[in-house]
Amino acid sequence: MKHHLELKIQAWTDGELSHRQARRVAQWIGREAQAAELAAELAGVKKALAANEPARTVPESRDFYWSKIERQIQRQAQNRPAPSPWYARWQGLLVPLTGVTALVCALAVIHQPRRPTFDEISATDDTMEAVTFNDQTAGMSVVWLQDKNPPVATEQTPPAAGGSTVEEGDPDAEVD
Amino acid sequence: MRSFFRILLSILILGPGFAATAADIKLEAKLVWGTSDDKGDANYKPIDAALAGKLHGMFKWKSYYEITNRTATIPLNTIASLKMSDQCTLRVKYLGASRVEVDCIGQGKQVTKGTSTLEPAKWLVLGGNCTNNTAWFIGLRAIDSKDAAPQKAISKN
Repeated sequence: MKHHLELKIQAWTDGELSHRQARRVAQWIGREAQAAELAAELAGVKKALAANEPARTVPESRDFYWSKIERQIQRQAQNRPAPSPWYARWQGLLVPLTGVTALVCALAVIHQPRRPTFDEISATDDTMEAVTFNDQTAGMSVVWLQDKNPPVATEQTPPAAGGSTVEEGDPDAEVD
Repeated sequence: MRSFFRILLSILILGPGFAATAADIKLEAKLVWGTSDDKGDANYKPIDAALAGKLHGMFKWKSYYEITNRTATIPLNTIASLKMSDQCTLRVKYLGASRVEVDCIGQGKQVTKGTSTLEPAKWLVLGGNCTNNTAWFIGLRAIDSKDAAPQKAISKN
Protein backbone atom coordinates (compact mmCIF):
# COMPACT_ATOMS: atom_id res chain seq x y z
CA MET A 1 0.00 0.00 0.00
CA LYS A 2 1.22 3.40 -0.86
CA HIS A 3 2.31 5.65 1.93
CA HIS A 4 -0.19 8.41 1.19
CA LEU A 5 -3.04 5.91 1.42
CA GLU A 6 -1.75 4.78 4.79
CA LEU A 7 -1.77 8.40 5.91
CA LYS A 8 -5.36 8.72 4.62
CA ILE A 9 -6.41 5.80 6.75
CA GLN A 10 -4.61 7.22 9.78
CA ALA A 11 -6.31 10.56 9.31
CA TRP A 12 -9.69 8.82 9.02
CA THR A 13 -8.99 6.93 12.21
CA ASP A 14 -8.13 10.21 14.01
CA GLY A 15 -11.20 11.99 12.63
CA GLU A 16 -9.18 14.56 10.77
CA LEU A 17 -10.94 14.21 7.41
CA SER A 18 -13.89 16.15 6.16
CA HIS A 19 -17.28 14.40 5.96
CA ARG A 20 -16.99 13.78 2.26
CA GLN A 21 -13.46 12.48 2.43
CA ALA A 22 -14.28 10.33 5.48
CA ARG A 23 -17.24 8.77 3.63
CA ARG A 24 -15.13 7.95 0.60
CA VAL A 25 -12.32 6.48 2.73
CA ALA A 26 -14.83 4.44 4.73
CA GLN A 27 -16.29 3.03 1.49
CA TRP A 28 -12.82 2.20 0.26
CA ILE A 29 -11.94 0.48 3.58
CA GLY A 30 -15.13 -1.55 3.28
CA ARG A 31 -14.06 -2.81 -0.15
CA GLU A 32 -10.32 -3.20 0.43
CA ALA A 33 -9.24 -5.90 2.92
CA GLN A 34 -5.74 -4.55 3.37
CA ALA A 35 -7.08 -1.10 4.16
CA ALA A 36 -9.56 -2.52 6.66
CA GLU A 37 -6.79 -4.42 8.37
CA LEU A 38 -4.65 -1.28 8.71
CA ALA A 39 -7.59 0.78 9.94
CA ALA A 40 -8.31 -1.80 12.64
CA GLU A 41 -4.69 -1.88 13.69
CA LEU A 42 -4.50 1.90 13.97
CA ALA A 43 -7.76 2.07 15.92
CA GLY A 44 -6.40 -0.50 18.37
CA VAL A 45 -3.20 1.47 18.91
CA LYS A 46 -5.16 4.64 19.48
CA LYS A 47 -7.38 2.98 22.02
CA ALA A 48 -4.43 1.47 23.84
CA LEU A 49 -2.62 4.76 24.05
CA ALA A 50 -5.65 6.61 25.35
CA ALA A 51 -6.34 4.02 28.00
CA ASN A 52 -2.81 3.46 29.22
CA GLU A 53 -1.12 6.91 29.08
CA PRO A 54 0.82 7.47 32.33
CA ALA A 55 -0.29 10.41 34.44
CA ARG A 56 2.21 13.22 34.87
CA THR A 57 1.97 15.55 37.89
CA VAL A 58 3.76 18.84 38.53
CA PRO A 59 5.71 19.19 41.76
CA GLU A 60 3.88 22.39 42.74
CA SER A 61 0.24 23.16 42.98
CA ARG A 62 -1.57 24.60 40.03
CA ASP A 63 -1.86 28.15 41.45
CA PHE A 64 1.71 28.27 42.63
CA TYR A 65 2.92 26.95 39.24
CA TRP A 66 1.12 29.67 37.34
CA SER A 67 2.22 32.40 39.75
CA LYS A 68 5.81 31.33 39.14
CA ILE A 69 5.28 31.72 35.44
CA GLU A 70 3.73 35.14 35.95
CA ARG A 71 6.66 36.33 38.07
CA GLN A 72 9.14 35.13 35.41
CA ILE A 73 7.29 37.10 32.77
CA GLN A 74 7.38 40.24 34.88
CA ARG A 75 11.10 39.80 35.56
CA GLN A 76 11.84 39.55 31.86
CA ALA A 77 9.77 42.64 31.16
CA GLN A 78 11.81 44.66 33.71
CA ASN A 79 15.17 43.51 32.27
CA ARG A 80 14.21 44.45 28.73
CA PRO A 81 16.18 47.63 27.73
CA ALA A 82 14.27 50.84 27.21
CA PRO A 83 13.60 51.61 23.59
CA SER A 84 16.31 53.89 22.15
CA PRO A 85 15.32 57.39 21.05
CA TRP A 86 14.83 58.12 17.37
CA TYR A 87 18.21 59.87 17.03
CA ALA A 88 20.22 57.03 18.59
CA ARG A 89 20.89 55.32 15.31
CA TRP A 90 22.40 58.56 13.95
CA GLN A 91 24.83 58.92 16.91
CA GLY A 92 27.12 56.31 15.51
CA LEU A 93 27.46 58.34 12.31
CA LEU A 94 27.55 61.79 13.89
CA VAL A 95 31.09 61.79 15.22
CA PRO A 96 32.92 60.52 12.12
CA LEU A 97 30.67 62.66 9.93
CA THR A 98 31.66 65.75 11.90
CA GLY A 99 35.30 64.87 11.54
CA VAL A 100 35.06 64.33 7.80
CA THR A 101 33.16 67.60 7.39
CA ALA A 102 35.79 69.48 9.34
CA LEU A 103 38.53 67.92 7.25
CA VAL A 104 36.81 68.84 4.00
CA CYS A 105 36.32 72.42 5.19
CA ALA A 106 39.94 72.66 6.19
CA LEU A 107 41.10 71.37 2.81
CA ALA A 108 38.77 73.76 1.03
CA VAL A 109 40.23 76.68 2.95
CA ILE A 110 43.77 75.57 2.34
CA HIS A 111 43.35 74.98 -1.39
CA GLN A 112 41.07 77.85 -2.29
CA PRO A 113 42.23 79.62 -5.40
CA ARG A 114 44.24 82.65 -4.58
CA ARG A 115 42.72 85.82 -5.92
CA PRO A 116 45.27 87.80 -7.90
CA THR A 117 46.63 90.68 -5.91
CA PHE A 118 48.43 93.62 -7.24
CA ASP A 119 50.85 95.37 -5.00
CA GLU A 120 52.21 98.74 -5.84
CA ILE A 121 55.54 99.16 -7.51
CA SER A 122 56.69 102.73 -7.49
CA ALA A 123 59.42 104.72 -9.09
CA THR A 124 62.26 105.64 -6.82
CA ASP A 125 63.84 108.15 -9.15
CA ASP A 126 62.70 111.72 -8.74
CA THR A 127 62.80 112.25 -12.48
CA MET A 128 60.33 109.49 -13.15
CA GLU A 129 56.82 108.57 -12.15
CA ALA A 130 55.17 105.18 -12.20
CA VAL A 131 51.70 104.50 -13.49
CA THR A 132 50.31 101.08 -12.66
CA PHE A 133 47.40 99.27 -14.21
CA ASN A 134 46.17 95.74 -14.00
CA ASP A 135 44.51 93.86 -16.83
CA GLN A 136 42.86 90.76 -15.39
CA THR A 137 41.64 89.65 -18.82
CA ALA A 138 45.09 89.70 -20.34
CA GLY A 139 46.63 88.33 -17.16
CA MET A 140 49.10 91.15 -16.99
CA SER A 141 50.03 93.87 -14.55
CA VAL A 142 51.94 96.81 -15.96
CA VAL A 143 54.07 99.40 -14.23
CA TRP A 144 54.79 102.13 -16.73
CA LEU A 145 57.65 104.44 -15.93
CA GLN A 146 57.49 107.75 -17.61
CA ASP A 147 60.09 110.41 -17.59
CA LYS A 148 58.93 113.69 -16.20
CA ASN A 149 61.34 115.37 -18.61
CA PRO A 150 61.33 113.31 -21.80
CA PRO A 151 64.60 113.37 -23.75
CA VAL A 152 64.97 114.55 -27.36
CA ALA A 153 64.38 111.78 -29.95
CA THR A 154 67.54 110.31 -31.57
CA GLU A 155 68.43 107.24 -33.69
CA GLN A 156 66.43 104.23 -32.78
CA THR A 157 68.39 101.58 -30.86
CA PRO A 158 67.12 98.74 -28.74
CA PRO A 159 67.97 98.48 -25.05
CA ALA A 160 70.18 95.51 -25.86
CA ALA A 161 72.69 93.70 -23.69
CA GLY A 162 75.88 95.56 -24.52
CA GLY A 163 73.77 98.37 -25.92
CA SER A 164 71.98 101.10 -24.09
CA THR A 165 69.48 103.82 -24.65
CA VAL A 166 71.78 106.21 -22.89
CA GLU A 167 73.47 108.60 -25.24
CA GLU A 168 77.11 109.15 -24.49
CA GLY A 169 77.66 112.35 -22.65
CA ASP A 170 73.99 112.77 -21.90
CA PRO A 171 73.76 113.02 -18.14
CA ASP A 172 69.97 113.42 -18.10
CA ALA A 173 69.09 110.47 -20.29
CA GLU A 174 66.55 108.01 -18.92
CA VAL A 175 67.71 104.77 -17.37
CA ASP A 176 66.82 101.35 -18.71
CA MET B 1 38.17 57.50 18.32
CA ARG B 2 40.69 59.51 20.33
CA SER B 3 43.44 58.80 17.83
CA PHE B 4 41.10 59.89 15.04
CA PHE B 5 40.56 63.25 16.73
CA ARG B 6 44.25 63.67 17.33
CA ILE B 7 44.98 63.08 13.66
CA LEU B 8 42.22 65.49 12.66
CA LEU B 9 43.51 68.15 15.01
CA SER B 10 47.02 67.76 13.65
CA ILE B 11 45.78 68.21 10.10
CA LEU B 12 43.85 71.34 11.01
CA ILE B 13 46.82 72.88 12.76
CA LEU B 14 49.58 71.89 10.36
CA GLY B 15 47.65 72.01 7.09
CA PRO B 16 47.70 75.78 6.62
CA GLY B 17 51.38 75.77 7.49
CA PHE B 18 52.14 73.28 4.76
CA ALA B 19 50.07 75.24 2.26
CA ALA B 20 51.80 78.51 3.04
CA THR B 21 55.31 77.14 2.92
CA ALA B 22 56.44 77.12 -0.73
CA ALA B 23 60.16 76.46 -0.68
CA ASP B 24 61.12 77.91 -4.04
CA ILE B 25 59.69 80.05 -6.76
CA LYS B 26 60.75 79.69 -10.35
CA LEU B 27 60.79 82.88 -12.37
CA GLU B 28 61.25 83.95 -15.92
CA ALA B 29 62.32 87.46 -16.84
CA LYS B 30 62.44 88.91 -20.33
CA LEU B 31 63.83 92.17 -21.60
CA VAL B 32 61.69 93.22 -24.55
CA TRP B 33 62.07 96.03 -27.03
CA GLY B 34 59.00 97.51 -28.63
CA THR B 35 59.25 99.34 -31.91
CA SER B 36 57.09 100.42 -34.80
CA ASP B 37 59.95 100.41 -37.27
CA ASP B 38 59.19 97.95 -40.06
CA LYS B 39 62.84 97.08 -40.50
CA GLY B 40 63.20 95.79 -36.97
CA ASP B 41 66.47 94.29 -35.92
CA ALA B 42 67.75 91.00 -37.32
CA ASN B 43 69.88 90.38 -34.26
CA TYR B 44 66.87 89.79 -32.06
CA LYS B 45 64.01 87.39 -32.31
CA PRO B 46 60.37 88.32 -31.86
CA ILE B 47 58.83 87.42 -28.54
CA ASP B 48 56.45 84.50 -28.25
CA ALA B 49 52.96 84.96 -29.59
CA ALA B 50 51.26 84.84 -26.20
CA LEU B 51 53.20 87.71 -24.71
CA ALA B 52 53.14 89.57 -28.00
CA GLY B 53 49.36 89.38 -28.02
CA LYS B 54 49.16 90.83 -24.53
CA LEU B 55 51.50 93.67 -25.38
CA HIS B 56 49.76 94.38 -28.66
CA GLY B 57 46.50 94.61 -26.81
CA MET B 58 47.84 97.22 -24.46
CA PHE B 59 50.54 99.20 -26.27
CA LYS B 60 50.87 100.91 -29.58
CA TRP B 61 54.08 99.41 -30.93
CA LYS B 62 53.98 97.11 -33.92
CA SER B 63 56.78 94.69 -33.09
CA TYR B 64 58.24 93.33 -29.88
CA TYR B 65 61.65 91.70 -29.75
CA GLU B 66 63.18 89.58 -27.05
CA ILE B 67 66.53 90.99 -26.02
CA THR B 68 67.27 88.88 -22.97
CA ASN B 69 65.63 85.91 -21.31
CA ARG B 70 66.54 84.85 -17.81
CA THR B 71 65.16 82.15 -15.56
CA ALA B 72 65.94 81.51 -11.93
CA THR B 73 64.84 79.43 -8.99
CA ILE B 74 64.71 81.56 -5.87
CA PRO B 75 64.45 80.05 -2.40
CA LEU B 76 62.34 81.69 0.26
CA ASN B 77 63.68 85.00 1.64
CA THR B 78 66.48 85.00 -0.90
CA ILE B 79 67.33 87.65 -3.48
CA ALA B 80 68.15 86.79 -7.05
CA SER B 81 69.91 89.25 -9.32
CA LEU B 82 68.91 88.87 -12.93
CA LYS B 83 71.11 90.79 -15.32
CA MET B 84 68.87 91.90 -18.13
CA SER B 85 71.43 94.06 -19.85
CA ASP B 86 74.70 95.82 -19.15
CA GLN B 87 72.71 98.71 -17.76
CA CYS B 88 69.81 96.94 -16.13
CA THR B 89 69.56 94.41 -13.35
CA LEU B 90 66.46 93.04 -11.76
CA ARG B 91 66.68 92.10 -8.11
CA VAL B 92 63.92 89.78 -7.00
CA LYS B 93 63.36 88.62 -3.45
CA TYR B 94 60.97 85.77 -2.80
CA LEU B 95 58.73 86.54 0.16
CA GLY B 96 56.69 83.35 0.07
CA ALA B 97 53.18 82.51 -1.12
CA SER B 98 54.01 83.70 -4.66
CA ARG B 99 54.88 87.18 -3.44
CA VAL B 100 58.07 88.84 -4.59
CA GLU B 101 59.82 92.11 -3.96
CA VAL B 102 61.09 93.56 -7.21
CA ASP B 103 63.76 96.18 -7.58
CA CYS B 104 64.84 97.44 -10.97
CA ILE B 105 68.37 98.79 -11.01
CA GLY B 106 69.37 100.93 -13.93
CA GLN B 107 72.87 102.25 -14.42
CA GLY B 108 73.72 101.47 -10.86
CA LYS B 109 70.78 103.19 -9.23
CA GLN B 110 67.38 101.98 -8.22
CA VAL B 111 64.62 102.80 -10.65
CA THR B 112 61.63 101.01 -9.16
CA LYS B 113 60.80 99.26 -5.93
CA GLY B 114 57.79 97.35 -4.80
CA THR B 115 56.09 94.02 -4.24
CA SER B 116 53.80 91.91 -6.34
CA THR B 117 52.16 88.52 -6.45
CA LEU B 118 53.33 86.33 -9.30
CA GLU B 119 51.28 83.46 -10.60
CA PRO B 120 52.02 81.20 -13.55
CA ALA B 121 50.84 82.57 -16.89
CA LYS B 122 50.38 86.06 -15.44
CA TRP B 123 52.96 88.70 -16.27
CA LEU B 124 54.29 91.59 -14.26
CA VAL B 125 55.62 94.07 -16.76
CA LEU B 126 57.81 97.06 -16.10
CA GLY B 127 58.11 99.38 -19.01
CA GLY B 128 59.15 102.77 -20.17
CA ASN B 129 59.89 104.83 -23.20
CA CYS B 130 63.06 104.55 -25.19
CA THR B 131 64.52 106.95 -27.65
CA ASN B 132 62.80 107.63 -30.95
CA ASN B 133 59.40 106.38 -30.00
CA THR B 134 60.41 102.87 -28.95
CA ALA B 135 59.91 101.23 -25.59
CA TRP B 136 61.53 98.78 -23.26
CA PHE B 137 59.75 96.19 -21.21
CA ILE B 138 60.83 93.79 -18.52
CA GLY B 139 58.36 90.96 -18.15
CA LEU B 140 58.43 88.84 -15.03
CA ARG B 141 56.36 85.80 -14.27
CA ALA B 142 56.36 82.65 -12.20
CA ILE B 143 56.66 79.44 -14.15
CA ASP B 144 55.74 75.84 -13.41
CA SER B 145 58.57 73.61 -12.26
CA LYS B 146 58.22 71.33 -15.26
CA ASP B 147 58.76 74.24 -17.60
CA ALA B 148 61.65 75.71 -15.69
CA ALA B 149 65.20 75.69 -16.95
CA PRO B 150 66.71 77.10 -13.82
CA GLN B 151 69.69 79.29 -14.28
CA LYS B 152 70.62 80.30 -10.79
CA ALA B 153 71.75 83.84 -10.22
CA ILE B 154 71.32 84.03 -6.52
CA SER B 155 72.84 86.25 -3.92
CA LYS B 156 71.99 85.93 -0.26
CA ASN B 157 70.18 88.76 1.40
